[in-house]
Amino acid sequence: MSAADARPTQVLVVEDDPHLSAGVRENLRAEGYEVSGASDGEQALAWLREHDCALIVLDVMLPGIDGLGVCRTLREQGNNTPVLFLTARGDPADRVRGLEAGGDDYLAKPFHLQEFLLRVRAILRRWDWYRNASATAATAVLRFGGNEVDFRAFRARSWNGEAQELTEKEAMILKVLAEHLGEIVSREDLLERVWGYDVFPSTRTVDNFILRLRKRFEQDPANPKHFLTVWGVGYRFLVEKQP
Amino acid sequence: MKATRVFQLTALALVVVSAVQVGWWLFDQRAYTLEKVSAANAAYAEQTAAAQALLDSGASAQQVQQLLPQIVVSGAHAALAPAVEQALRTEEQRRLNQYAWEGGFFLLALGVCIAVIARALSAEARVLEEQDSFLALVSHQFKTPLASLQLSLETLALRAPPPAAARTLIDRMLADLARMGAMVTQILESVRLERGRVDWRAEPLELRAAVTRVVTQLEERARSERITIANSIESGLYVLSDPLALDVVVRNVLENALAAVACAGGGSIALSARAAVGEVELSVKDSGVGFEPAAGARLFQKFSRLGAAAGTGLGLYIVRRLMELAHGRVAAHSEGAGKGASFVLAWPAAQEPQR
Repeated sequence: MSAADARPTQVLVVEDDPHLSAGVRENLRAEGYEVSGASDGEQALAWLREHDCALIVLDVMLPGIDGLGVCRTLREQGNNTPVLFLTARGDPADRVRGLEAGGDDYLAKPFHLQEFLLRVRAILRRWDWYRNASATAATAVLRFGGNEVDFRAFRARSWNGEAQELTEKEAMILKVLAEHLGEIVSREDLLERVWGYDVFPSTRTVDNFILRLRKRFEQDPANPKHFLTVWGVGYRFLVEKQP
Repeated sequence: MKATRVFQLTALALVVVSAVQVGWWLFDQRAYTLEKVSAANAAYAEQTAAAQALLDSGASAQQVQQLLPQIVVSGAHAALAPAVEQALRTEEQRRLNQYAWEGGFFLLALGVCIAVIARALSAEARVLEEQDSFLALVSHQFKTPLASLQLSLETLALRAPPPAAARTLIDRMLADLARMGAMVTQILESVRLERGRVDWRAEPLELRAAVTRVVTQLEERARSERITIANSIESGLYVLSDPLALDVVVRNVLENALAAVACAGGGSIALSARAAVGEVELSVKDSGVGFEPAAGARLFQKFSRLGAAAGTGLGLYIVRRLMELAHGRVAAHSEGAGKGASFVLAWPAAQEPQR
């Protein structure tokens, strides 16, 4: 991913409908992105084996492997390229399924062009921030309580020596918290910084991710020393427990 | 629909309870009869023993028979009269037979009722499920061309493109609209076929003329997608079909072939026909993307879509239903993906109409 820095931002559009695919690609090109296209899941995965890109616009209903399958495969392979799902099904259950498969955002067809472009920009901005915030040797690694997190490789070693594979969202939450060391970060802020707007129906999602981080990095997840809850507000991250 | 379902479920419950009751009644009556018979046997045995005791104590055979009329005495030996024993056994058999027949009949009748209601219920559930998936699929099918249409329009509004680019967008929108129009037609056709609301008027039709009419309408599209259509159907072959149905069948099969060849980036479609025994066969061979040989039958099922063809999944289903109505047949064959496909349609042959 780091190789794409100097060139225009590369976007892959995976859509089986030729008209929709052409329309999306032309608009992204007009916005200054470098765009490639694939019309099914196999083609997309094959392209991604050879190339890097900053964002994948992925139709859910594809012939062969569907979009969810493509996204899951990528995540299993350790590919954390952000994914924006396009789908004809827009009910909340499908939305959640898409995000669980590792998607970053979800847009139901038919969609507004401006909203689409806005979401593309929002996802890329979040990733730009993450990449920039992990760019130097000092910011790429976080150490706390015997844990060591490598933000660039999405890997960590916890206090008991266990190797951990972080999801992109876990890594992003950790990044936001580490940037505000010792400060209170509200759930809404976390949601906004990591997911963007209205993607998830509730801030409960943030709580679930904090629970997952505690399980990974706290010696006693029930009595956290690093990921502290500030009741009614949000969370505070500490490197060492304060008295 | 809901009230019917409640009624059916209640009826089913009542019938099941009745069946259990009949079963219990059967079991109970049989046990009761056997109990009565064994009680009677015990009573007769007592009488026999009493008679024997009387005989042994010196009573005469005549006295014993007066006292116990169901006992016969032969020599110094008392025994139950064979007629009584026979009557008891006959009665037992008669009752058991009666219960077996009556109970069996009721159980059979109730079993039939249960089967009928259960069948109706599961058929209804299947219809509901099919309707649900039909609606979901139909709305899904519409959303993609709608999204494309909206995207093209918003692109025009947002970017004010130069005339050539605008022309491309307009063509794209017209094609999306045409696609949605075709989808509406197909959905209505399939619903009509489903409900059996078809006004069928079979008449002798000249196959070449009917096919040529459709080919003419599709020629421009074929040309733009670099597809050549070779029509070598000879004139004078008459089939028996409804004229509208023939038109729809030929159009759907040809559009399917066009889509398959377009997916392969262009190629050819060959049409030919021949008279067979009692029928006329039309063959449509294309050089398109083809399909796995085993998928041939599945093509004609509702909502089956192979590969990337952006159809409703209804076109070939409609073809099959219309061919059934015409007492004809349709089959598809392909050597495999990428190897083209051939469709054979056969109608009952008709005589050339007298003018």
